[in-house]
Amino acid sequence: MTRPVAVGQASAVGSTPALAFEGVSKRYRNGVLALDDVSWAIARGARACLLGPNGAGKSTTIRLLQGALQPTRGRVTLLGAAVNGPAYLAARRKTGIVPQEPGMYRDVTTGEYLALARRLYGRGPADLARLVELFDLGDYLDQMLARLSGGYQRRVVLATALLGEPDLLLLDEPTVGLDPVAAHTVHAYLRGAMEGRTTLLCTHNLAEAEALCEQVVILRGGRVLVQSSLAALRAHAHPQVRLAARQGAPALLAALRRRGLAAEAVDEGAAVQVLVADPAADAPALLRGLLADGLDVYECCAVQVTLESLFLDLVRDADG
Amino acid sequence: MLLSEPVRALLWKEWREMTRNRGMLLSSTLLPITSLVLAPFSQLYALRSYLASGPPAELGPMVGLPGGSDPIDLLLRFLFPLYVMLAGLLVPSVGSTYSVVGERERRSLELLMILPVRVADILVAKLAAMLLLTAVVLLPLFALDAVVLIALDVASPGYVALLLLVLLASTAYSVTVALLLALLARDLRTANYLNGAMLGPLVPLVVAVLGVVPGDWGLVAVAALLLVAGGVALAISLRWLTFERYLG
Repeated sequence: MTRPVAVGQASAVGSTPALAFEGVSKRYRNGVLALDDVSWAIARGARACLLGPNGAGKSTTIRLLQGALQPTRGRVTLLGAAVNGPAYLAARRKTGIVPQEPGMYRDVTTGEYLALARRLYGRGPADLARLVELFDLGDYLDQMLARLSGGYQRRVVLATALLGEPDLLLLDEPTVGLDPVAAHTVHAYLRGAMEGRTTLLCTHNLAEAEALCEQVVILRGGRVLVQSSLAALRAHAHPQVRLAARQGAPALLAALRRRGLAAEAVDEGAAVQVLVADPAADAPALLRGLLADGLDVYECCAVQVTLESLFLDLVRDADG
Repeated sequence: MLLSEPVRALLWKEWREMTRNRGMLLSSTLLPITSLVLAPFSQLYALRSYLASGPPAELGPMVGLPGGSDPIDLLLRFLFPLYVMLAGLLVPSVGSTYSVVGERERRSLELLMILPVRVADILVAKLAAMLLLTAVVLLPLFALDAVVLIALDVASPGYVALLLLVLLASTAYSVTVALLLALLARDLRTANYLNGAMLGPLVPLVVAVLGVVPGDWGLVAVAALLLVAGGVALAISLRWLTFERYLG
């Protein structure tokens, strides 16, 4: 069994990782192998995103951490406690979970659900009152959960996740299904909630992941494809310069190839991207050369390496 | 305290939820009113009126029963136990279908799974809520039965006590079957089919037991049958039930 390597810096809180998968496989009763001998961990204090295409094993990963699934093989630990072991419930009290679009009660009010959560987390009324105020839920305590808007439902879930003053947050697609305004509000709450807490954010929204996390774990076909810091991933990416000219992409591509540079058309031929060693050093000379060739270049900028582009490149490489 | 703090907290939530669901409350109340009051009392009244109208005509032999039986005795021996058993089976099954299976189908179970609780706590709370509802609905109706039967001198207190045993045993059976349903049924429709499949065969079986076992011992045998079947269902459920199976 392989030992997991923790992503992120271990904090002074403890040397054990906040969560760890050690040689974990999960095969469902229908025979589907969702996770295949994966080993990875998140150090305490790290904020990591869990990425992967559909069917990569992300939901299974979250379900295993929640204790909703049992691994077929291997060991999953949460704050040092084996999932569903004797110390697991205590670890769960220090873990806040935001699920992906949960069903909402038609016959339970916001206040009743929060009161239930407060009792189960063993917190006092003052803790609940503080969160109700923080998430502006005071006017909605008597409303049935199912009657709240999507944004307010997510606030209730987030407030619940924070009730136990958690050390660890597990966020499963926290903004999926929300309109942009509600998603923006939830992001603002998430930033505050993640402050000083270990976080695992499972998402398809790569911009969200990039904005909220510094570490990344990418799953593909039930295996760990990448486990790294975002900065390290970016450092390994090939720098590129984006160019656009009035004559169009074919003319630009021809001029760049004459200079021996690798380039490709992007945005349906509206621009080209060319690989360079150092955009800051190479782009001015390149621009002068293209203008001298008679090309009317009206756009020339260094391409920001986004998590989306890194993710797509990695998945494409993995697919061969 | 009999119940742990997490179970009591969850029970409180279950109770609030159940008592706000008018459809479920209506079903849970009307079915036992029919089974424990309307049906048996209308038959008792009709038989007593018939017998009071003159000397009873000679009853011919009935299929599978000794000839010349007193109609009131037959009512007490077969129909009252069946009505009581049905009431004990129906109330928890309505509650369980709504609470155990419905929660999974509505995906609101996710809201409980994110809290620091065990699946066993969730199910014990649901079963306790069902038992509470059953007690609140059935015990007053059964008390009415008991008072009427004893006041009219139709049955002895001992017989009424055995009927209560049948009621409790059928409730216990129904509650444990609810646990099995949590494992087996993926949706409300399947749950209703399975409920029918698990409860339906009991009626002819219980009639057969009451026909074979003489006197009040028939009631004891029915109660024992229900408790054994409930025990088997409970053993299977506790051995198999995990969040993974409950979630499907």
